[in-house]
Amino acid sequence: MRHRTFALLVSLLLLGLADSAPAQTFVFGAQGEPVQLDPAVITDGISSRITRQIYDSLVKYKGATTEVEPALAEKWEVSADGKVWTFHLRKNVKFHDGNPLDATSVLWNFERWWKSAHSQHENQVKAGQTFEYWEAQFGGFDDKSIVEKVEAVGSHTVRITLKAPQAPFLANLAMFVFDIASPKAVEKWGTEFGKHPVGTGAFKFVEWKPNQEVILEANPDYWGVKPKVKRVVLRNIKDNSQRLVALKAGEIHGMEGLNPDDVKVVRSDPNLQILLRPTNTTGYIAFNYKVKEFQDKRVRLAFAHAINKRAIVDALYGGTGLVASQFQPPSLWGYNKELKDFEWSPAKAQALLKQAGFAQGLSEITWEDGKREPLVFWYMSRSRPYFPNPKEIGEAMAADLAKAGIKVQLQTAEWAVYLDKRKNGQLPVYMLGWTGDNGDPDNFICYFFCSPGAPREGFYSNKPLADLLLRAQSLTRQAERARLYSQAEQMLQEDVGRLFIANNQPPLAFSKKVKGYVTNPTGSEHFNTVEVQ
Amino acid sequence: MGRYAVRRSLTIIPVLLGVSVLVFSFIHLIPGDPALTMLGERATPEKVEEVRRHLGLDRPIPEQYLIYLGKIVRGDLGISIVRGDPVLTDLLRRFPATVELATAAIFLALLFGIPIGIVSAVWRNSLVDSFSRVWALAGVSMPIFWLGLMLAWFFGVQLRWLPTGFRLDTGTAFEPWTNFVILDAALQGNWAVLRDALRHLILPAVALATIPLAVIARMTRASMLEVLSQEYIRTAEAKGLPQAAVILRHALRNALLPVLTVVGLQVGHLLAGAILTETIFSWPGIGLWVYESIESRDYAIVQGASLFIAVIFVVVNLVTDVLYAAIDPRIKYD
Repeated sequence: MRHRTFALLVSLLLLGLADSAPAQTFVFGAQGEPVQLDPAVITDGISSRITRQIYDSLVKYKGATTEVEPALAEKWEVSADGKVWTFHLRKNVKFHDGNPLDATSVLWNFERWWKSAHSQHENQVKAGQTFEYWEAQFGGFDDKSIVEKVEAVGSHTVRITLKAPQAPFLANLAMFVFDIASPKAVEKWGTEFGKHPVGTGAFKFVEWKPNQEVILEANPDYWGVKPKVKRVVLRNIKDNSQRLVALKAGEIHGMEGLNPDDVKVVRSDPNLQILLRPTNTTGYIAFNYKVKEFQDKRVRLAFAHAINKRAIVDALYGGTGLVASQFQPPSLWGYNKELKDFEWSPAKAQALLKQAGFAQGLSEITWEDGKREPLVFWYMSRSRPYFPNPKEIGEAMAADLAKAGIKVQLQTAEWAVYLDKRKNGQLPVYMLGWTGDNGDPDNFICYFFCSPGAPREGFYSNKPLADLLLRAQSLTRQAERARLYSQAEQMLQEDVGRLFIANNQPPLAFSKKVKGYVTNPTGSEHFNTVEVQ
Repeated sequence: MGRYAVRRSLTIIPVLLGVSVLVFSFIHLIPGDPALTMLGERATPEKVEEVRRHLGLDRPIPEQYLIYLGKIVRGDLGISIVRGDPVLTDLLRRFPATVELATAAIFLALLFGIPIGIVSAVWRNSLVDSFSRVWALAGVSMPIFWLGLMLAWFFGVQLRWLPTGFRLDTGTAFEPWTNFVILDAALQGNWAVLRDALRHLILPAVALATIPLAVIARMTRASMLEVLSQEYIRTAEAKGLPQAAVILRHALRNALLPVLTVVGLQVGHLLAGAILTETIFSWPGIGLWVYESIESRDYAIVQGASLFIAVIFVVVNLVTDVLYAAIDPRIKYD
């Protein structure tokens, strides 16, 4: 008996020699548990990483760009006034449950998203889920929506009529939330559909083991590029370092959510590779225009010349950051390539301060109501892709400012408090940023600058800028819009309305055996092109 | 003894009420509007209002507490804010994984902790004793997070002997009955799964066992030293009993009583340690679940799980005390 126990222990150790998963399976290390797998009601990246494999939308982002290309709709037309969109659906596409994809099923999906009385909309809302992105991208539900009519005009033709032209309309439709689900399956499962997803995508749902993994299998009838692996497993590994350990141990083939410091570790490992997701995120410093000192453009300009962005990006972004000269990241088509960034020059900053009447430096501020207080610079209490180490970045900026004679006190607050104070316009100068949703410049820039004087934006008011952005929103021709967004960036810079610090390119790590993974700025990445050798 | 057990049991009622107040106040103690905290940067004022209403945060606080208490008494721990599933169902589904891990850890801690303690006490101030004392000190002060990563790196990445996380290999086809995977695999006679499950259990169990092992070893040593200096031991030695019999039969039995209390208390630490261990080793128990819920600000889960852990802790301590009374008749309420 004792020998058997010993033998068992030894064999336990020997059998421990791990064999790597067969190349038929692609195992991806996810950052956590998906919320659920009904694309219409989710908002998070972990869930959408999975739903993007199971479903398709009418149009999709092309490769590594935010340009839009055909998906379930093989072509489309738009009326001259930009209000009527006609989509021609791909024929012979089937949902994983065998039901055909046709105009009726697309119409059904739109009505579910849009109409609050739709039985499969109402039940979700009662269960505490909301169609948040529909509301955000299309103006609201029922009569509030910018959508006026959706019709099936033929077996495979859908016509959508808008109340007014909406420039980012196509880019919106490419978002993961507007993936088309099987109406029969949604009706069958109701609020449990998120646990039994059925779409038309390259992979079919097999199983979801809570807190462990989601398993998908290749859809051999897929209309697009046929999957190169038979199975996809998305394993939930919460801790960033441990996910890297699992990658090094060969238990997973790829992962996201790498600590900035680990980028070097992966680069130096001969078995691993780094892929950068094109940047879609910008970190900034915003001024509060109720502070008298910040109403003086020379003071804002002094900040701009004082901060050494290059040094911050080099030291604190793990080699994946870029210096930002404007709000839109370079991956967006409204990006202004001509725009020159402010030169880093503490001397210039000092001179500007002197001109503005602060020869002795700036360390106190005056609010419009006359209250004086020390100059507090607020840094974020949470790491975000645009500011991965907010405290260190804040400290570096404070040190730069001090060299130019601007003495700030650093302060932060619990994240909710921070956002609350920012929303109410209580922070004199603060760090924050934005990550784009759909690759359209409107989503990036209009949210911030289309409502002049909003407390949320530190009461910044630039009416000509807002007018320009609203005009860009009403046009549909991309070239024309691009020109306006490019002009908007220049106006913003001329006014030194806000300081844009850095963009980040979130790093993904893979085994060298993995080929064909295409990163996308929106994070919408499809595994059908992935091969494991 | 019976009276003691009843009276001791009654004392847990005020403790549990206190716990319920504390757990209830979580949501109000953290700074900032909980609804805004949950919604983040993109929250619209309407949405914040909606969530506040949904959580009942618009009612007076005493009323909120009474509603909350009424619900937990009926076994309703609420609904997950993020996923909409009942908290109790999820809790019961995940709890077996934590019990399995904690049991393995306490087993390892006892298996090694007690002998180390005995050896240290018997050969006091010897090299063995010094070594085990340093080791115990290191164990007590070891950050589990770091240790877990090192174990995974050494045995998973360098040697490739053991998996770095999870309860089973990916894609293992296995239909658990009770969610105690090891038990289920044994009951179903599925040896391949049993072996796989044991391989996955080793590293997290070792990481989780480190602190209790060190505590038990130190406690056993101290307690043994005290007992060994007593006169009846000298008597036993004097009458010529072999040393092993003196130590194991006469000394250890009495020395183990205080160790029992420590083991009871360690259960609380094990549940706390499970949060870190499970997170590092992606072990799908309540620890990982709580960690994820803190991150996603799912207050319903954090509250439900905290209450559950507190109840377990209180009950385990109650059982230890009652057991203690059963073993040692001198203990009673005066």
